[in-house]
Amino acid sequence: MPNTDDFDIDSLKKTWQDQEIADGYDQNEIESMLNKKSRNYVKYILWISVAEFVVFGLINFLALFSDNFHTDFTSILNRLQIRNQNEVEFSLDKIYYSMKIFSLLITGVFVVIFYINYKKINVESNLKKFITHIIHFKKTVNFFIFSNIFLLILFIGSFTSFLVFIINQQNIHVDNPTFWGLITGVVFSLLICIILILLYYKLAYGILLKRLSRNLSQLEQIDSERL
Amino acid sequence: MENKQKAFSKLIKDNQGLIIKVSRLYTYSLEDQEDLFQEIVLQLWKSYDSFQGNSKISTWMYRVALNTAITLFRKKTRQPQTDELQDFHSKDYLEDNDDKQQQISLLYKVIKLLPDVERAIVMMYLDDEPYKEIAETLGITEVNARVKMNRLKKVLKELMIKHA
Repeated sequence: MPNTDDFDIDSLKKTWQDQEIADGYDQNEIESMLNKKSRNYVKYILWISVAEFVVFGLINFLALFSDNFHTDFTSILNRLQIRNQNEVEFSLDKIYYSMKIFSLLITGVFVVIFYINYKKINVESNLKKFITHIIHFKKTVNFFIFSNIFLLILFIGSFTSFLVFIINQQNIHVDNPTFWGLITGVVFSLLICIILILLYYKLAYGILLKRLSRNLSQLEQIDSERL
Repeated sequence: MENKQKAFSKLIKDNQGLIIKVSRLYTYSLEDQEDLFQEIVLQLWKSYDSFQGNSKISTWMYRVALNTAITLFRKKTRQPQTDELQDFHSKDYLEDNDDKQQQISLLYKVIKLLPDVERAIVMMYLDDEPYKEIAETLGITEVNARVKMNRLKKVLKELMIKHA
């Protein structure tokens, strides 16, 4: 049993440095490691982020070239008995395409930021920078997703407000069951979408980023301690 | 390419002590230790081109090894609770056949009770790395690295007495 009086770290330095390796790896073993697969955290984060980007990007892209929205909307206008449908549709088309272009521009900007932030992650950086860059990288993706949710709400909100405006302008009875059915459906599906997305983030990234954040706060705490 | 691989594997073989120490300090089973060693070697290989001649070998190895152990590596096994923490007998070290080896084992055991960042500070200190190097590797100030280490010395002493 070691002598407890010797538990001074400075006196153990030499012992620590002289610890012998009994069965280290030889050159062939090390070379064979170079062909094995890396399984690291950032790779998982990168794959998940790329998948999210592709999914949300594709949804945006497909929506731009889809005619379904137009057909669905014409049928809603018919069911709500709205008059002068051509004029109304023309105004709606203008809003629709402006918002789509805006949404694609946002995606483009995010792709560039995503790439720049990914390139900043360098395993040779100091630990603080390394963790900060990984967290920034992930935040870019989170911000992209949240901006998409915001756009979705804005998009649906604008169309619903526009409908309400037209209905009021044309003195259509608001107790029309189609109208209330539409509003309830929109609000309900939006809520479900948002809850599911938030739940996914809590599960997927809460776990992945917890350790990173804990270590970053340790570093920050060391630097903020009073001397 | 083959020559580059040979030069790299020789460099790692000659300096594997540092990687083994990091791997042993940040894992709780032999399987994880070997996996972490491999992951560090892979990360070093990926950054080998940018390293060549740009900095000291130990600086480069510490940065990559610690970043990998603390940030990139995902353990397979769960981290044991404090009261069940044991330093496993690493296959890479001689058996504990004398006082020195017992001291080394005890050191590993108590260092592993510290949070990730503090483990890195203690390890670099024990390896006689200057405070400037410790601070630059972790991204903290030199003064704070020194203050933290002085506090850690007392903590470690208490832990060693408690766990001896």
